[in-house]
Amino acid sequence: MKKSLIASALIIMLCGANAIASPSGTFRQAHEYGFGDKSNLDPASRGRVMQITEKLMSRLIRPDLKGSPSPDLATSWSANAEATEWTLNLREGVSFHDGSSFDAGDVIYTFERVLDPENKSPARSAIKMIESMEAVDSMTVKFSLSTPFADMPLQLMDYRLRIIPEDSGDSIATSGIGTGPFKLVSFDAAGVTKLEANMDYWEGAPGVANMEIIGIGDGQARMQALLGGQIDFENTVTNQQKPMFASSNKFKMVEVPTGNWRGLVFRTDVEPFTDVRVRKAVRMAADRDELVKLIMGGAATVACDTPVKPDDQYRADISCPQDIAGAKKLLADAGYADGIDVEVYVATLEPTWPILAEAYQQQAAEAGIRVTIKQVPSDGYWSDTWMQKSVSATRWNERPADSALHEIYLSTAKWNESYYNDPAFDSLLGDARRELDFEKRKAIYVQAQEHLYETAGTLIPYHVSKLYVYNARVDGIDAVENHSIRWNKVTVE
Amino acid sequence: MIVMLMRRILLGFITVCLVSIIIFSGIEMLPGDACTQYLGEYQADKELLEQCRKDLDLNRPAHERFREWAGGAMTGDLGMAVDGKTKISTIVGDRVKNSLLLAFCAMLVGIPLALILGIITGLWRDRMPDLVISTLAIFAMTIPEFVSATLLILVFSIWLGWLPGIVLTSASAPISEFFPEILLPVIVLSLVMCAHIMRMVRSSVIDVMSSDYVQMATLKGVPYWQMVFRHALPNALLPAINVVALTIAWLLGGVVVIEVVFNYPGLGRLMIDAISDRDLPVVQSIALIVASIYVCVNLAADLLTMLANPKLRTVYTRK
Repeated sequence: MKKSLIASALIIMLCGANAIASPSGTFRQAHEYGFGDKSNLDPASRGRVMQITEKLMSRLIRPDLKGSPSPDLATSWSANAEATEWTLNLREGVSFHDGSSFDAGDVIYTFERVLDPENKSPARSAIKMIESMEAVDSMTVKFSLSTPFADMPLQLMDYRLRIIPEDSGDSIATSGIGTGPFKLVSFDAAGVTKLEANMDYWEGAPGVANMEIIGIGDGQARMQALLGGQIDFENTVTNQQKPMFASSNKFKMVEVPTGNWRGLVFRTDVEPFTDVRVRKAVRMAADRDELVKLIMGGAATVACDTPVKPDDQYRADISCPQDIAGAKKLLADAGYADGIDVEVYVATLEPTWPILAEAYQQQAAEAGIRVTIKQVPSDGYWSDTWMQKSVSATRWNERPADSALHEIYLSTAKWNESYYNDPAFDSLLGDARRELDFEKRKAIYVQAQEHLYETAGTLIPYHVSKLYVYNARVDGIDAVENHSIRWNKVTVE
Repeated sequence: MIVMLMRRILLGFITVCLVSIIIFSGIEMLPGDACTQYLGEYQADKELLEQCRKDLDLNRPAHERFREWAGGAMTGDLGMAVDGKTKISTIVGDRVKNSLLLAFCAMLVGIPLALILGIITGLWRDRMPDLVISTLAIFAMTIPEFVSATLLILVFSIWLGWLPGIVLTSASAPISEFFPEILLPVIVLSLVMCAHIMRMVRSSVIDVMSSDYVQMATLKGVPYWQMVFRHALPNALLPAINVVALTIAWLLGGVVVIEVVFNYPGLGRLMIDAISDRDLPVVQSIALIVASIYVCVNLAADLLTMLANPKLRTVYTRK
């Protein structure tokens, strides 16, 4: 009896020792070097290398594994009854990599920098409703908004809103100082950027001792590096490359649903798409299940023209099977009994666009929609084709539900790509932001998405899934979107 | 001789100028510019695009920008990259060093090997060693580099795990850090260049061995190996000089495909990156360097051939 007690005590001690084992090993990952020599470590700038900043710096609020807001540098938050004032309590005892301690001043400095139009931060749109900020005390900040915003915590989860030390704006691009689980040893965007474990990270020391983030521009070269064991993790593996890893026990593979989508935009201000019946008809003609199989090899989730990601709490549950008879009838009602001719513009900028257009061409033909595909050069696509031609291919990356609906469809939005102008829809979005009750808010967002399915000009056939492939020696990679992965939990053998 | 040299240098200069102009206009004609590339999807924001073009000084007419760059280049100042912040000489410097390193290693392996194999196949023409080596050479020549590169990566780094598959060392790292990563690209390059030079040497050895003076020497009873080394080879290797020179120029000019496949930070990859960033000054500078290398190496090869061949020397002097 006594012996077994001692034994179990020993086991507990050993397990305990194991749990607090010191960081070990090196984890290596590539980045695309997509910003060339503009690459830097300023999280709010356009050239930020996300694969590095996400390990160096923390946000106030981060998504948990289900995508809901969970505490990071802010421990709790609350709003006033109108949802125009948000108060956040900050985490005590956190220090930056340079030893300075984190407080409200850093938060206000970081956000002011993002909000300053002079800095042209792409993250500005996420928080531009913040009118003023105030440090209630050294560990409490208050944001006053220009409009009611019930889902402010979701906005603060934006992957670019990472807190940097006060007054570090001029040096952050190369110093990379933050409060994250790893700190910078050396930065070389084109070569190897070295990070080491931050033993003082507020959640405890991370699992690996060193990280190397390597700039490899060529996709094929990244595959070779992964196959040859020179890097441990890659998230740009395409469907076609899947078989290279699927049969090998040297690699682990996981499919992660994302909010990223590719689709076709029919401009609602151009004939014949000014007629809402035509707009619905061109979307009803698509067989989305088939498109998912054909283009994505199954690695996607069908969407019914909603930009809200599949696992978002506000995603509307709509069903949208192909309906050729219905599409024909709508076209006839709108005065196009003989069908319509449509020119769809695509480029190889997004490799799946031409395939999407081809497949859609076949499907829509049955409904009398005669599609001609126009392929234009990738260079200048966004300035000369997108939002210029009547019908063009488009793609958007994941956003919180509210941002997606606002940025893509609000009549006054800068990137309202379909020139969608519907006062009823606009006012629904306004109502949702004012509604503090979650269930009621959800009902409004769902209604807005259903409204889009009836009236919008954008065909969103699916949300793509991302394929993570990593070396079998790596453990602890969460099967969630990149910026939600808890990098401190990753370990290597 | 001096007149000839001057003429060649002048011609070389004109070639380099023409190349610069062609490259500049070519890239200027591509749709998009440094700003549309940098802004990506944000380029649809006309205001942002205009601001960026103003910042980077892209609104001036093309010929004006070219003249300014060319003026600087004449005095040895390559100027600034399109962002106006980085000196081109710093960017290009490391890359030139890396490309030289790769070229030098490939030559060190490839040229001696090519000469030896070429002589062997020439002397044993149509017999077993010739048949085997020549067939392999044809394979090495006709399989594109990116295929042989990928095959070698598959075998040596993925299956066997002996060598690193791609180069992860940064451009500014000291030379020693490029080993052993550099080995696979060196092998691929050596294979290709070796095959080319070897075939040239082989046919030239065959020519010389069947020439009248070699037959005369044989008839006069000169021992075989003495005849080969003293009379045949010096004449047979002359035509190879030009092929070797072309190969060297090709190597130094940045072997784009190989550098991209192996992620090697040399001139070739810099060129690709700069073109996709529409960084005209950098592209121009690389084109200038590569064109100058071509001209110089070819000139050197011609001079060498002339020095080694009295016949050519007199032809030029008489003119």
